Amino acid sequence: MTLKKYQQIKLIITVAIAIIFSQAILYQNYLIPLATLVVASLVLIWLRRQVKEVIADERDYALAGKSASWAIQIYSWVAVVAMFVLYAFKDLNPSYEPVAMTLAFSTCLLMFIYSLIFNFHNKIKFTANKNRFILLAIILSIFLGIFTLRLFSGEDNWVCQNGQWVAHGHPDFATPTVPCK
Amino acid sequence: MQTKIKEYRAKLNLTQDQLANLVGVRRETIVFLEQGKYNPSLKLAHDVAVALKTSIDKIFTF
Repeated sequence: MTLKKYQQIKLIITVAIAIIFSQAILYQNYLIPLATLVVASLVLIWLRRQVKEVIADERDYALAGKSASWAIQIYSWVAVVAMFVLYAFKDLNPSYEPVAMTLAFSTCLLMFIYSLIFNFHNKIKFTANKNRFILLAIILSIFLGIFTLRLFSGEDNWVCQNGQWVAHGHPDFATPTVPCK
Repeated sequence: MQTKIKEYRAKLNLTQDQLANLVGVRRETIVFLEQGKYNPSLKLAHDVAVALKTSIDKIFTF
């Protein structure tokens, strides 16, 4: 298979994934996107192996590194500014807070993963105690995962019960102003 | 950075595509190298020199 044909098929698959994802969201089915993503990834890996030409070389990797670094910086700045704005106005609409928290945590997670990968390629890859660092990274990831799950578990929130807002845990924002139905 | 890749390539009657295949990069990278717009790794510079049957210092000038 030629590189051009591979890129054309890749584009078609990407468009198909976007269509399937949007339809799945509309029908609130989350299994279809997951299955689509797995199948599409496997198909793309298989297609990539069929290409005899060079798909990416050192120049592409250098550009990819630079682009990823810029993308992380831009996303982080935008997410942090949006997080502060949403958090400042959380009293107007309680739903702003989880969005702000999602932005804050996604930025932290992105930075964390970036640092891990950077340090792995920079130092850890060449050290004898590689397994020790990998174990530390796994433990840190588990703690971060548990903390994130705890934060988004729905604890410390206002719950609508029998037409009244009831505090569940210790929510740090005022009772929602929207009617409880 | 200036390169003499084009001259050496012409001497050996090699196309950009053929040279790219010999050194394991995309043709676009050879174009950028010839124009002096890409600073290659030592390995790529060595591979290009070997493919063009010369030495690194003869094709790359800094």
